[in-house]
Amino acid sequence: MIKISAQLILMLFTFFSFTQTAIADIPEIETIARIKNFGVSSDTTAVKVERGPYLQIATPTSVVVKWRTNVPTESVVNYGLELGLLSDKESNFNEMTEHEVSLTGLKPNTKYYFNIGNEAGVLSESSTGDMYVITAPKVGTKQFVRAWILGDAGTANNNQRNVRDAYYKYVDTESANTGKTDMMLFLGDNAYRTGTDVEYQNAFFDIYHNMLKKSVAWSCLGNHDGYSADSATQSGPYYDIFSFPTGGQAGGTPSGTEAYYSFDYANIHFIILDSHHSNREVGGAMYNWAQTDIQNTTQDWIVTLFHHPVYTKGSHDSDTEDRLIEMRENFMPMMENNGVDLILNGHSHSYERSYFLNGHYGFSNTFNPNEIKNGGHTVGISGKGDGKTDGDGIYQKTNEATAGAVYITTGSAGKTSGGDLNHKAMSVSLNELGSCVMEVEDDGQGGQNLTVKFIRENDEVDDYFTINKKGISQKVESIKKAEKEITVKKNAIALFDADKDVVYIKVNPGERLKKVKIYNNLGKRVIKSKKSNIDVSGLQKGMYVVEVKTDKSTYTETIIIE
Amino acid sequence: MLVKLQFLNFFNFFCNRKLLVAFCLIVTIQMFGHGDLSERILLKTIEIIEDPENYKLYYERGFLYQQHIDYNEALEDYIKSESLGNTDKVLHYRMAEVNYLTNAYSNALVNIGAYLKVDSIDVKAKKLEAQILFKLNEYEKSLKSYQYVLQNTIDLRPEDIIEYTHIILSENNKNYNSAIVAIEFGLQKLGSNTISLQLKKLEYLKESEQVEKALQQFNYFIIQFKRKEFWFYKKAKYLIEINRKKEARITLKFATRSIEELDTRFKNMESIKKLKEQIKNLENKTNQ
Ligand SMILES: [Fe+2]
Repeated sequence: MIKISAQLILMLFTFFSFTQTAIADIPEIETIARIKNFGVSSDTTAVKVERGPYLQIATPTSVVVKWRTNVPTESVVNYGLELGLLSDKESNFNEMTEHEVSLTGLKPNTKYYFNIGNEAGVLSESSTGDMYVITAPKVGTKQFVRAWILGDAGTANNNQRNVRDAYYKYVDTESANTGKTDMMLFLGDNAYRTGTDVEYQNAFFDIYHNMLKKSVAWSCLGNHDGYSADSATQSGPYYDIFSFPTGGQAGGTPSGTEAYYSFDYANIHFIILDSHHSNREVGGAMYNWAQTDIQNTTQDWIVTLFHHPVYTKGSHDSDTEDRLIEMRENFMPMMENNGVDLILNGHSHSYERSYFLNGHYGFSNTFNPNEIKNGGHTVGISGKGDGKTDGDGIYQKTNEATAGAVYITTGSAGKTSGGDLNHKAMSVSLNELGSCVMEVEDDGQGGQNLTVKFIRENDEVDDYFTINKKGISQKVESIKKAEKEITVKKNAIALFDADKDVVYIKVNPGERLKKVKIYNNLGKRVIKSKKSNIDVSGLQKGMYVVEVKTDKSTYTETIIIE
Repeated sequence: MLVKLQFLNFFNFFCNRKLLVAFCLIVTIQMFGHGDLSERILLKTIEIIEDPENYKLYYERGFLYQQHIDYNEALEDYIKSESLGNTDKVLHYRMAEVNYLTNAYSNALVNIGAYLKVDSIDVKAKKLEAQILFKLNEYEKSLKSYQYVLQNTIDLRPEDIIEYTHIILSENNKNYNSAIVAIEFGLQKLGSNTISLQLKKLEYLKESEQVEKALQQFNYFIIQFKRKEFWFYKKAKYLIEINRKKEARITLKFATRSIEELDTRFKNMESIKKLKEQIKNLENKTNQ
């Protein structure tokens, strides 16, 4: 027990940090009710859902539904395309309290209503149709996508609730795509102070209950989650609560760990890194995985999230703290060179948003606002502006000019903690509560806009910017492909005729064909011939190298058998 | 009534020098300090001032110091906690951790030994023991401890497997085959396409000059990945290293064509521009 004088100091301490420090907070009514129930012995207690349902690892054809009951029971999910007709059922007869059910064989981009229960009946449902999953679109689909981004949210107090409510209001009153939240992206520190199970209940499940049952939650590990979770053994509340794709099942490269992973959603590739526990060195397991992963994506947009911010002068300082410096110096050159568009971080409890950047890996005072061609760190004519349509102009990426990314440190979804807030690479630095929303949509000209808004707890949008990417619609790509094929055909020594499954060899006038060898992409010779018309019907689809020997020279040509 | 009482206490509190120091600390931290940990250390310090014989508090503050990377302070608190009667096994584990992190490996070994005496089946402690033994160049013992970890950890990470292979190769720098067996074990446990392990396997096959297997491993990446340009290039580079220029030349053709097939946007990314240059340089080498 702390004595009274110490209590007084605590009071004073609270007075000095009176604004948002969440030492304690009044739990919501539902939590109180739940705790009261807890003392009743299990045989007399009716089975109740204590947590969830919440949605994990959504892919175009599957989703994981998780929930917790007060006593062990079976797991049942009823689901279907119509609210009144949940005719499909997935169940697990083993009795348990932590339920995890995978729904598979679903249709992409489709809304499925569901409820959860046990063999005896339904335990949780929504009569208004607010319990559903919309499966991810097929990979590469260009369509409207909205992600709600929450950094350092887990205070379980009214600040967190106000930030939440401001977003709910925003999404429910937007004229287009009303009520649609494709995913929630948590930037870590989701439950203060140490990410325990009870803290997660109060700061995560009780607060976002209404959104978690209809939108898929993804997260990276924050330092406060890391106090109770252990990445070394992938145990503790953070790893128990979340399920992430370790085997690339949601579209990324298999990482073999839930600490870092990737996934695709529509035409966006998301890369989630662990800046807290995992080794951050170049050549370390996480770096090697991330490089392999980013160099294997063909998606139109690349978004990465990790807890420790690349640039900040908020309640943390990216000039002095190891993790922040290492993420910037080690990961960002590789990620920028491979086309990353948006970097989302938390940790500092503020909102700091950069210009349109490339190549700034030093301290704040080494930031050069000039364009990259002039030795600076901003991209394009609008790069050192505010990125607003009605301001200095939006940030621009094209198929030719591929550099440029915006860095956001947004860790004020639960509290603000001040700081100098004067990082030179930042266009905006605010000591305000809020969360972010990312929206990707067609620009009507064959490209797309990626817009991020910072929504304050008082419903105001205090900052926004847009990155436009030109020339990414499917139509443009198919035209280009057709053009390319014509140019390839004109000069070729070897030509593949898809209708006849034949490769024609055309040697220069005055030269005599001696030998033709065809190699598959593993370097294995699959055909040897002396003819100029070669039957390739036995070959699999794919890329081949044709080596043509004449009496004068040797030529090589690549062909694609489709 | 309560208010009045608290006010009197408030007055007394300023007469207490220790608490005055604490008060100044609070103000300082509020003015200059960032971060939650410093705040929590301070709060714990205040609790200790109030209850200086409580070993639990020293342990708790020690752990906060440890998280704050103040290892010396952490160890001091742990030692104090022990001297006040803390016999909890976790204390030994934390002491082992801090000693390990400050390169005091012999002490760390004593601490972890004390922990494992009480709890001999904890995988986390076994792992730390293996890491300490490794630092003490006791490779055989280290491997033994680590084997226990690999067999008994529910959620292994690729990092664990890689660390284990490093110990194998430290014990015998030619023992690539055992290292590769460990990698295979990891792939079986974590999923056959766990990329950091497949990359390690490639590295070990190359280093142990198992040429055909290394080439097969390059082929694995070529088959596995949607975008193959980087893998064709890496394979060609290896083929040149082992003096198989003709095969390298053909592989480079695949690399170039793969780049041509990319959407324009990717072709103009820095990584691909650099790759094109690297391909050109290699092509020159194949023609020499
Ligand atoms: Fe944090």
